Parts: sequence; structure tokens; C-alpha cells
Amino acid sequence: MSARQPARRIVPRRARGALPGLRVTTLPNGLRVLLRPMRAAPLVSVWCWYAVGSRDERPGSTGISHWVEHMNFKGTKRIPKEDVTRQVELAGGVWNGYTWLDVTAYFETVQRDAFEAMLRLEASRMTECLHPRREVERERTVVISEMQGGENDPRTYLEREVTGTALQAHPYRWPTIGYLSDLKAITRDDLYSHYRAYYAPNNAVLVAAGDFDPGEALRLVRRHFGRIARRPEPPAVRTTEPEQSGERRVTVRRPSGAAYLHISWPAPATGDADFPALLVADGILAGAPSVNAWSAGRGRGPSKASRLYRAVVETGLASDIDTSVIPTRHPFLYSVQATASGKVDPARVEAAVLEEVQALANGRIEDDDLRRSKQQFLARHALEAESVTDVAHQLGFFETIGSHRLWLDLPERVERVTAEEVGRLAAVRLDALHRTVGTLFPAPAGTGR
Amino acid sequence: MIRAEGVVAASREVLGNGLVVIVRPNRSTRSVALHLALRAGAAFDRPDRPGTANLAARLLDHGAAGLSAQAIARDFDALGIAFLARARLDSLDVTLRLLSSHLPFALERLRALAAEPEFPESECDGERERVLNEIAEREQDTAARADECLAAALFPAGHPYHAPLLGTRESVAAIGRDDLVRFHTARCRPGRAVLVISGDVETDGALRLAGRLFGSWAERAGAAGHRKDEEAEEEAPLPDAPPPEGVRDIALPIPGKTQADIALGFVPAVRRRAADLQSVLVMNSVLGDFGMGGRLGNAIRERAGLAYYAHSYVWAGLGAGPIVVRAGVAPAGLRKAIDLMRRTIDAFLRTGARPGELRDSKQALASAIPGRFETNAGAAALLADCELQGLGHDYADRVPDLIAAVDRVAVTEAARRYLTPGRCVLVVAGPDLKNNALR
Repeated sequence: MSARQPARRIVPRRARGALPGLRVTTLPNGLRVLLRPMRAAPLVSVWCWYAVGSRDERPGSTGISHWVEHMNFKGTKRIPKEDVTRQVELAGGVWNGYTWLDVTAYFETVQRDAFEAMLRLEASRMTECLHPRREVERERTVVISEMQGGENDPRTYLEREVTGTALQAHPYRWPTIGYLSDLKAITRDDLYSHYRAYYAPNNAVLVAAGDFDPGEALRLVRRHFGRIARRPEPPAVRTTEPEQSGERRVTVRRPSGAAYLHISWPAPATGDADFPALLVADGILAGAPSVNAWSAGRGRGPSKASRLYRAVVETGLASDIDTSVIPTRHPFLYSVQATASGKVDPARVEAAVLEEVQALANGRIEDDDLRRSKQQFLARHALEAESVTDVAHQLGFFETIGSHRLWLDLPERVERVTAEEVGRLAAVRLDALHRTVGTLFPAPAGTGR
Repeated sequence: MIRAEGVVAASREVLGNGLVVIVRPNRSTRSVALHLALRAGAAFDRPDRPGTANLAARLLDHGAAGLSAQAIARDFDALGIAFLARARLDSLDVTLRLLSSHLPFALERLRALAAEPEFPESECDGERERVLNEIAEREQDTAARADECLAAALFPAGHPYHAPLLGTRESVAAIGRDDLVRFHTARCRPGRAVLVISGDVETDGALRLAGRLFGSWAERAGAAGHRKDEEAEEEAPLPDAPPPEGVRDIALPIPGKTQADIALGFVPAVRRRAADLQSVLVMNSVLGDFGMGGRLGNAIRERAGLAYYAHSYVWAGLGAGPIVVRAGVAPAGLRKAIDLMRRTIDAFLRTGARPGELRDSKQALASAIPGRFETNAGAAALLADCELQGLGHDYADRVPDLIAAVDRVAVTEAARRYLTPGRCVLVVAGPDLKNNALR
């Protein structure tokens, strides 16, 4: 519970980055605070981030971080359950939460007058959630329903299988939603212990972007979070994924209207020197990479000039193709997903994809490719930072997996990438020894499970 | 030029060719969103060619004004412009998001794609195959099947909302280049369109630029001939569908799935421009939207733990549509979820909204308006939709007063008019279903 201790001296420092007015502060209890004034609309977006995700789980308790996130909408010692979302909506706001590999986040974007109420809500959620047993049992079936809804989608199912095959040791390998057996077995005490272990100011990041005065905002943050006690540091992830030394394959049969292909390679972590080269490589292969997990894909069609689109969609081998570069703290995966057309053998799609990846490794990178890929990234980086919700998300997401500088500095790092670096990355990382190839074939009716 | 103050803060002008241009400056960003909405959605497909609007939208950037598909794609990629063209039920929407320095190019290119698409035969063939593949995927998708079956059951064959937006295997296979040209010529005209420019622009300059580039957008050669048979229906409102006769349950078994999707639809009679629309929206908020999904979400998700989502929404466009209730549940909880759905609606019809519920929903709906303008793209989409639906570009400024006028009696009347448990269609798509499993 929220122990009381006097606030110590707070030393604000201004960030050097490209966001005017950004104020970055660490409270004495370890809470990192990022405040970005944006006065275009009378809105404020508040995000509270915790450095806990599926990477912090173990077999037997997979899915527990996500389930805790659900439980943290069930009311706190000071805020009745129905008021958690009610007060946001009464302020004209939107709210949500999500859990992923490295992070759990909660947010509210509301009219500016409700700023302090949102800080009060998030401060209470940090230490005062109750997890009543009756609510735990109700939510068990809700989470299982969410998992089953995902399983209905063959793409999601295949992604889960490929991830679990490509990674064999690191906890990124299990699905954030968890396995059914674990979701049936996790107890209320498991959930509450997980909550207490990871929900602490020294394991959190509080971000606000919007129509406020930063000095006054910091005063309010101190008022609501300053007295929350630091807690023992959560255990760090110790496992490093051993290097893969041969191609892996996984074949799945599920009810579906098409065959799907999913190829993954181990990808550098966001802080790795190779990460910008991966973004540029992805831009050449598929166009306009995004590093915004919240708004990626919104209002955007496929990049029809990209190499993979031309190689597999224009040729009629696949009806669509997509890739994913996910910013993570530890090395994760770079993936290419495609839907095979009609009766096309997915092996033909695979061959066409691999040919394009090999071309990069062979150094087939023109100046124009490089320029276009970088320009797309830079434009997308700017377009995905225009709203208070997006800015607060990006600052918080990157701060939680390492540092907000990783996000602010990405344009500069991307601009410095050379064709040689892209070719080397493709040759060394996106090769046959490191890939995992998954194929999902439609199953005859009634054989899906 | 007409200027709306308030949160809308946009100016509206009508060009000589009938195109409505709306400009909403937001100088705090470096970007601009363009949104061209044409009254050319799937509802305007020929009854024997559902899927035409969808295919036409997807082909707009596959060759236009002498530019090849690859040239268009390369230019967008080189400037980092996000482009999307998609058909919806009522409208065909083309959107671009870009850095403001590229505005003149983007507007010029948008005009070329909207006014002069070429629908090259080879591109049509390729896109048709991609749509057919998507249709095959949707046939195994419980949510898509539930939604499409509900529409087909509520709206009779031949009604503009009857067929799937993507079309059917048969109709899409039959759509040829001539159909696309004919559709575009008849439907994609400046007099049926609205262009919104939202973002880092100055109003007068943006209006001038739009006028210069789009003022010359005229009907294509042969338009009059192509339009003859569409002319009669041109300005006629979309026809009303007859109310369902009694209660109809439809089970769509999709073996091997782990979850079932429920869709419950009532009489398709809600109109977007109706005087009681805000009463319907407040009613819907209480029933199935506020918080975790209103009363429905509380009963099915929060108290019974049966579903990840359970909510209701209002389907109201150029034509009248129904209130729809949706949920995704495990097969074991199907009957209980349906039972709770029906009991919740019955209880709402008996008692109406409680004063606290009414107050909360009204406040939430009214105060949500500024948030709709948070992004340039969001503002552009909202303004385009309001204009296209005939509500006026200043509609968002008027909504709070309209909501304030809604009282408990109006909500009760709206519920009784549009929630019709004796005349409804229930569709369930999922594993191991039989019709008698639904009762």
C-alpha cells in the first residue's frame, strides 16, 4: 500500500531532444515523469507505464501480466469499480490499457480540466487495487474469451506458433494473452503478488502530453505520486536467447479461408546499433516502417512500390504482405507475413520473399532505395507524433523499454544508415541459419481442434 | 465561404462544379490530412454487381491521368505520404496524410486519382483476385459472417444494404473494367463529393489551391449517357427495409473455431438525419456503450464473465438502419449470453434509463466532441462524414445542445421505437451450432 514518506528534492532537467518544452524528471521514489505541453486542443493525455510484460512471466503463469491489467480496472481502495472508466468518459475522454512483451500501460485522453482527476486515478491504480476474489473469477472467463477470440484468427494463431518456435529460451516466446492451462490455474493470490511486485514508482513511467503548464503539471504529479514508497526492484530477465544455428519450420493446420506464411528472424533490440539499419531494410522491403505500436497501420494502405509487394502481390502469389519491426528491450523478431493467393502453394510465396531478402544481403541497394526508405521513415515518425495521445504513448513506451531518447534520436540514427550497413544486416541476421518459417494450411472442416 | 466557430473552427466553400471544400487549419502540427468523401459507397452498387464500389476504390491508385500504378506508388513512397482509398456503405473515402510541405503535390495527385482513374485491365484482374481471396478468408471469420448475415437478413435482396461490401464470389468475378468505369462516371463526381483539408494550412491559401486544382474537375466524357439509368435514383433517398416479421434465429456453423460471434439486429428504422437521432444515441450509450459496454457489457462481461466484448451500436447512414447488439462468447456460454442479452433489453424497455445513467451518458456524449478533433485525420473524417450525411459541417458544434435537449421520455420513446424484441434477427456464427442451441 502507499507508504508515506516526505518528498525529497526533485531535480528537473530539460531533455535535449526535438520536442520543445519536454520536461523529464525523476521523483525521489524513482518514478520517471515526462511532461510535454501541446496547446493545439484543450486535451491532455495521461499514460502510466509499468516495466512488466510477458517477458516477466514463467511457465505456469503465462498471461498473468495481462490479467493483472484487466484486474486493475476493477476499482481501488479509493475509487469504486464503476468510477474507473466513468470519470474518464464524463470528461469526454477515451481510455484503455494494454500489455505486451516489455510493458503494461494505462491511458486516458480527456479534456484538460480532468487532468488532475486522471493523475489521482493512476496514482491509486499504482498501489491501491484490490483484486476481489469474485472479480478474479469473473475475469478469468473474460480473459479466456479474449484468448479464444484471437485463436479464431488464423494469422494470430500462426504468429504464436512461429514465435514459440523461433525463440526457445527467452520469455518473449510465450503469448502475452497466456496459455489456456495457465489461465485456468492462476489464483487471486498469484495475481495480487504479481501486481505488488511490479507496480511501484521505481518500475513506472508517468507521461502527460497536452494543454497544461509543465510547472503546474509537475506540482500535481508530485502531489499524487510523490508519497508513494519505492519498492524492491523487480527481478530482471536473466535469459538471453541462444544463437540459432539452423532453419526451423513449423506447419499448422487450422480452419481458414486461405494459406498463410510467416517468416521470422531474430532482430536487434531497440538500443542495438543495428536497429536503425533494420528499419531502413524493412522500408526497402515493405515500405514505411512504424515504431508506434499504438497507431501503426491506421489510415495507411500497403506500400505498393516496395520490393515485397511487387514480388508477391503484384505477381499474384499473395493477396497481401506485411512486415513487423517491434521495438523491444531485448532482441525479439523481425517478421514477414503473407496470405497466399487462391491455390498458390505458400512455398512459392516463401521463395519469392526469400529472394528479395537475399537481394538485400547481396548488396542490391540503390541510392534511391535508401533515400526513399529513410524519407518514408522520417515522414511516418512525424505523422505518428501529431496528437497528444501518440506523443505521450511514444515517450512512455520508449522510456519504459530503455529511454525516450531512443525514440527522439531514431530519425538521426536512421539518417546515418549506409547501404553497406543494410546489406551487412541482411547478410548476417536475415539469413537461412537464423530464420523460422511457419505455414498455416486450411484444415478440412471439423479437424481444427 | 461559411465559417464555423467553436470546436469545428473550419471554413466551407462550394466550387462551381458542386464540390464542397472544407478547410480546418491546425498550425501546431507539421502535417496535413486530406479526406475526399464521395457519395459512392457500396450502397450505390448495382444490385447485380455488389462489390463494385470496393473494387473501384482499391483501383483508384492503380493508374490514373496517364500515370502508371508504379509511378503513383513510387511518388507516395518517396514523400512518405500515407494513402488509403476504401469503400464504406454510403461513401467511397480517399485519405492522404502528409507533411505539409507536400500539400500542393498531394492535392494535385488526389485530384488525378479521383477524377481520372484508368482502371487498367491487368490491374483489375489482379485486384479482383485479391478481393476473391479476401472473401474466402471472411467465409471462415465468425465476426464477418455474423455481420454480413445480419445485414442480408434485415435488408431484402436488392436493398442497397443487403449485400456484403466486398461483394460475393459470383458478383466480384463478374465485375469487369466497364462496370468500374460506369460506376466511377456515374457516382464519382464533384457534385457528390466533399474535400476536407485539415492541418498545417492557412485557410484562404488552401481554399485557393483546392479551387485551382479541383475547380476543373468536370464530369467525364459520356457521363450523361452512363448516368441516364442512375439519374432517377440519383437524389432519391435509400429505400426503407420492411421490419422483420417476428423473431428469426440464424445459426452459421464454422467448424473448428473456438469462439462464437453473436449479432442481434432490430427494425432497420434509425435515420442519421432524424430529429430523434440524439435520443437514440443516448439510449444506446446507456444500453450498450458507456463504460465497459453499458448495461449489456455489465450483464454479459462484468457480472457473468461470458465475453471479452458485449456492446451495442447504432447503424444509421444515408439509409435507415438498426440498433445492433454484438458479443463474442465461448460456445459453452452461448445460450446464457443470448438470454442475458434479451433480458437486459426487456428490462430496459420496462424501466427506461435511470436518471443517473441518463445524466452520465448525456455528459459523456457531449463532452467527447473536442476529442474527435485531436488529430488532423480524425477531424477531417468527422467533417467529411457530417457534410456527406447532410448534417452540415458545423454539426459537431450543435451536438451538445441537441444532446442537452434529450430527456428521459425521449430515450424511452427511442427504445420502444427501435428496440423491438418481437421483430428482430439473431445471428450466431461459430463452432458446433444448431438453431435450437440459440434458445
